[in-house]
Amino acid sequence: MKKLSFAIILPVLFALQTNAQDVMLKGKEMFGDMTARQIGPALMSGRISDLEGHPTNSRIVYAGTAGGGVWKSTNGGASFSSIFDDYIQSIGVVTVDPHDPDNTVWVGTGETWTRNSTSLGDGIYKTSDGGQTWKKLPFEGSERVCNIIIHPENKDIIYVGELGALWGDSKTRGVYKSTDGGATWENVFFIDQTTGCSELAMDPNNPNILYASMWEFRRTAWSFNSGGDKSGLFKSTDGGITWNKIHNGFPSGKLGRIAFAVAPSNSEILYCVLETEEDEGKGLYKSEDAGKSWTKLNGDFGLVVRPFYFSKIVVDPKNPDVLVKAGLFGSISRDGGKTFKDAGRMHPDIHDILFDIKDSERMYFATDGGVYRTWDGGNTLDIVTSLPVSQFYHISVDNAEPYNIYGGLQDNGSWYGPSNSPGGIEARDWNTVGFGDGFRVLKHSTKPIIYSEMQGAENVWRYDTEKMQNKTIQPLQVDGDPKLRFNWNAPISLSEHNPDRIYIGSQFVHMSNDMGNTWTKISGDLTTNDSAKQNQEDSGGLSKDNSGAENHCTVFTISESSLDEKIIWAGTDDGNVQVTQNGGKTWDNVTGNITGLPANTWCYHIEPSVHDKGTAYAVFDGHTKNDKNPYCYKTTDFGTTWNSIITDNIEGFTRSFQEDFESPDLLFLGTETGLYITINGGKSWSKFTNNVPATAIHHMEMQAATNDLVMGTHGRGIIILDDVSPLRALTQEVLAKDVYFIPTDAFTMVEESNFGGTSSELQFVGANSNRNAKVIYYLKKRHTFGKMKMEVQDQYGNVVSELSPGKAKGINIVDWNYMMKAPKMASGKTFTFGGFTSPRAPAGTYKVVMTKGKERYETELVVKYDESSVITKEERENHTMVTRKLYDLSEDLAYQVYQMDEMISFTEKLKKDNPAFNKLGSDLIGQLTTLKNKSVITTGDNYVGAAEPQLREKLAKLYSKVASGFTPPSASEMENLKLLEQQFDEGKNTLDNIKKSAWSKLVKKAEKEGLEIPSMKEKNDFLGKAIKP
Amino acid sequence: MKVLKALLFVALTITIGNNSYAQTVDEIIDLYYEVTGGKDAWNKIEGIKYIGKVNQGGMEIPLEMVQTKSGESYTKASVQGMSFMQGVYDGETLWNTNFMTMKPEKVTSEDLENHKLNLNDFPDALINYKVNEYTAELVGTETFDGTDAYKIKLVKEPVTIDGEKVDDVEFYYFEVDSGALIGSQKEMVSGPMAGAISETKFSDYEEVEGLYFPMTMTQGVKDGQSQSIIIESVEINPSYDKAMLMFPTEEPAEEDKK
Repeated sequence: MKKLSFAIILPVLFALQTNAQDVMLKGKEMFGDMTARQIGPALMSGRISDLEGHPTNSRIVYAGTAGGGVWKSTNGGASFSSIFDDYIQSIGVVTVDPHDPDNTVWVGTGETWTRNSTSLGDGIYKTSDGGQTWKKLPFEGSERVCNIIIHPENKDIIYVGELGALWGDSKTRGVYKSTDGGATWENVFFIDQTTGCSELAMDPNNPNILYASMWEFRRTAWSFNSGGDKSGLFKSTDGGITWNKIHNGFPSGKLGRIAFAVAPSNSEILYCVLETEEDEGKGLYKSEDAGKSWTKLNGDFGLVVRPFYFSKIVVDPKNPDVLVKAGLFGSISRDGGKTFKDAGRMHPDIHDILFDIKDSERMYFATDGGVYRTWDGGNTLDIVTSLPVSQFYHISVDNAEPYNIYGGLQDNGSWYGPSNSPGGIEARDWNTVGFGDGFRVLKHSTKPIIYSEMQGAENVWRYDTEKMQNKTIQPLQVDGDPKLRFNWNAPISLSEHNPDRIYIGSQFVHMSNDMGNTWTKISGDLTTNDSAKQNQEDSGGLSKDNSGAENHCTVFTISESSLDEKIIWAGTDDGNVQVTQNGGKTWDNVTGNITGLPANTWCYHIEPSVHDKGTAYAVFDGHTKNDKNPYCYKTTDFGTTWNSIITDNIEGFTRSFQEDFESPDLLFLGTETGLYITINGGKSWSKFTNNVPATAIHHMEMQAATNDLVMGTHGRGIIILDDVSPLRALTQEVLAKDVYFIPTDAFTMVEESNFGGTSSELQFVGANSNRNAKVIYYLKKRHTFGKMKMEVQDQYGNVVSELSPGKAKGINIVDWNYMMKAPKMASGKTFTFGGFTSPRAPAGTYKVVMTKGKERYETELVVKYDESSVITKEERENHTMVTRKLYDLSEDLAYQVYQMDEMISFTEKLKKDNPAFNKLGSDLIGQLTTLKNKSVITTGDNYVGAAEPQLREKLAKLYSKVASGFTPPSASEMENLKLLEQQFDEGKNTLDNIKKSAWSKLVKKAEKEGLEIPSMKEKNDFLGKAIKP
Repeated sequence: MKVLKALLFVALTITIGNNSYAQTVDEIIDLYYEVTGGKDAWNKIEGIKYIGKVNQGGMEIPLEMVQTKSGESYTKASVQGMSFMQGVYDGETLWNTNFMTMKPEKVTSEDLENHKLNLNDFPDALINYKVNEYTAELVGTETFDGTDAYKIKLVKEPVTIDGEKVDDVEFYYFEVDSGALIGSQKEMVSGPMAGAISETKFSDYEEVEGLYFPMTMTQGVKDGQSQSIIIESVEINPSYDKAMLMFPTEEPAEEDKK
């Protein structure tokens, strides 16, 4: 009783509390069942950073990816599933715990292949249930984990190799040891804040012996350094307490990144590949005395190429003479390292190799383009097609229906593909439009032209997709120009005012009004032009690495205002924000007006508002200065003043931004760890996680006709949040309501049929958007108790369809596929598959009635025909009329068969109980059975044992043929209908005659004997509440 | 009486919803049984029959589902006057109707053995989890279906999948505000969908003979498509034709077709 009175008081108190403040909803509380779709693609896949097997079960394979999390295969690499969606997606290492290999897996985050575009990690995670749940361990300050090694005899002793920060000093580097299962960690080997552990290994025969490869390295936005006096290869024989250099046989001088491995089958044999000061010293070294001495065996290109990217050696677990070195093409030796050949034909840039535990001829390769498998030692290879971990830099969309998505990828060229496709978005739907690293890919708004680029505008292609003609159009240096500096990811943008206009940024903004044939510089050097940041020729450290990826002091983003073509914004990689209001005659450097932004922070994106000329949003990314804070500013006065719209709950540095086209307060922010949405102009942000993993969102676009938010992620491909318009309706007033139907536009019944796709179950297929009508509503509280129902009613209040309403707190989206109830078919021995067809509802305004307990809520739903339809009004009416006729005939037949069954059943019972009815009954049953056998199938099965179709089957077939299409019935169909109507009428007449004669006689006789005659259901009763079309 | 019980239910749920102290896994499970009728009452049930329906693209399919403490179970669906049976267990054999022939076919020996492991999970796997030597762990609080929910992980006896022993793990979500079970998730462990998460959401709780049952169960793949089973009535300790459960030598009995 006390509880009850408590219960009465509490709701009142809570009501008072909530009225006093704004409704603040976070994440899924607001977004409810709005769910994004991941469309890949997976055909080119993406960079895989690490592979891991299971010690006894060769079916289990783990793939750690550069930006797409951890994937697990339970079928020997045939297909993979994501198991790490909720956590940071950049993976350094995956380690299966040898003490509990089925369940316990450790993940060290932060890729260790330290290219310019690499993402960041945030520590170590552990699962104890094969990846279903994860716990983050207290391993603070970590950025890149290269190895996790569990002591083979004591599961609580764990060693970790921490490479550490790429872009700045860090105290978290070197070798760490835990003796309590990861609860606490001790840094047992630390050199300095510039030198991390790039490889850690344990002697398979003696867990006290450890080897650590230490690497001095640093990256800036404009340079890279590999190597120094502190790099080296070290050995500990006391479980990590003391460490000694093992350089006997190494050349003198500085060392860079050292690849290293112990042969699992003979721990005296070690291999390493050195990056040395002198070219002569670079190459593969072998020790046959556990590191006491080393002999150089080989300096092939394949072994020494790009140590920062490829320092990995894997030795066959069964044979110490077979080893594979990661590399541009990968190198395999079968003679203990004396000679090598390429590992096989696969995507270049191999980062890791995994040997099958049972058969060393079976191998897996981690490449820049996914996981490859071989069954014959690398002679032939194929790609895993279920890993949609593609790494987009930038994306764009067009205005086609369905619209296409364009984008460039890390080491995987440039592509475009559809947002919807029959059977789902498959590999075959994607088209390649560029080589190398692809970045910005843009579609001309009126012509069949696509612009794409590669690597620092080395090529900018103008591709005519109809004529299949290509021309490179990048601006070239002309008389009086300094050397043009293009970013690795050079900005290209188009104009909404002039379809032939194209902008490209070097240190200048270049504009062309003739699709790139002629170029005009419309700005001076907009960057800081800091000469100290322009020595890329010297970049790389011990191995020169001037790929162009470090080009700096360049324009990175250019945006022409959709409201005024004279307003153009440009942001630079060295932190400048510049704006012109006169088409480039003069530019204002407004960088100094931004308070709170550290100097020279990379301006990643500027979004001019579609609502107001003076308004723009600028997003900055400081991670290349080791600053991981998010920065996003808004100006309403052309950059004179700026306000930060970042709140404390935003995690990860920022790269991308999208303003809604209708609601100025609805904004989208992409960070290193996912998507954030605000409905109040940035006062509060909610993280969107419904099928959007914690991946880096590099770029976003909104498609104007569909209101879809399209995200280009750097590790999980393209992700689409379909139709964000419901979010526009969310105001404080709405959030305070118990139930609120969000208004929707009319829904089109698309008149389209197809045969689906061709992919196998091992291939990734991206989901299509659904084109159903949608009832969208907000619930203040999840509906848990009492009935909640939803009906679609026609204008007369007839129930056309019953829907299953969502019960989630927040936004609910309920689909209606425009179908009414299927006809009730006659009972038979087999299914008549045509009878499963539901008739389509006609266009019109429907009432949606939702009952929730005793409350009733209503809204309207408008359905319209396809505007592109070639079907006339008369034809449509004819289609509806014939569909209705066949529907009714099928149900009429069902009622006739019901009556026959009832009569047969009664008569059989009568005969059994009373022999006097034998003759009369047998005669009646005979007549009814003959009629039933013509009405419906009474023998056979649903497959090739099918009996000859009878009237039910013929009617259903014609009904389905007509009802499932859009076009009016053909002359042939009408002739068939005529025949079936005749057969129906004949059957009906026969039944009527039976009822009048044999059945009537039997009933009279039974009544005379005082027997009870069963009452048959009336037709409407038999058909239930079936609604007719 | 019903009104009083409903009031008590609401009272309890509100009280739970405002508990600010940390819950233990057993407190959460116990409260769920408390607010849905009491653990004793649940343990006294011998069998449950659900009468419901699913809507398949406009076609309504009536369903009858029975589960009993003795382990017998079946789901019967009716389409175009024909019945087909799924998940039928007669104490020895687990069988389904083949859709092509409409004849019964046994499941694999492995599936049967895995099924037998679940026979002690009546009315559900949580109620006697300790007796059954399962482990339950409170994973934490998550937002499920938009609302705060306690996430509990239940690990049962390992099942055998393609010859390999695999832990049988299921996650349960209990609404913080009400204590009610609102969802469950389980990783698919075999077939082409292996690795995907199957998800069921529970709602529309109503009282039947003093016990609260979710009258809507929405099943599907997490972040993917789903389908609702609407329960129209629940019969406690139902009668049913045991002969129907026996693995038949021919097709289902004639009367089942009507």
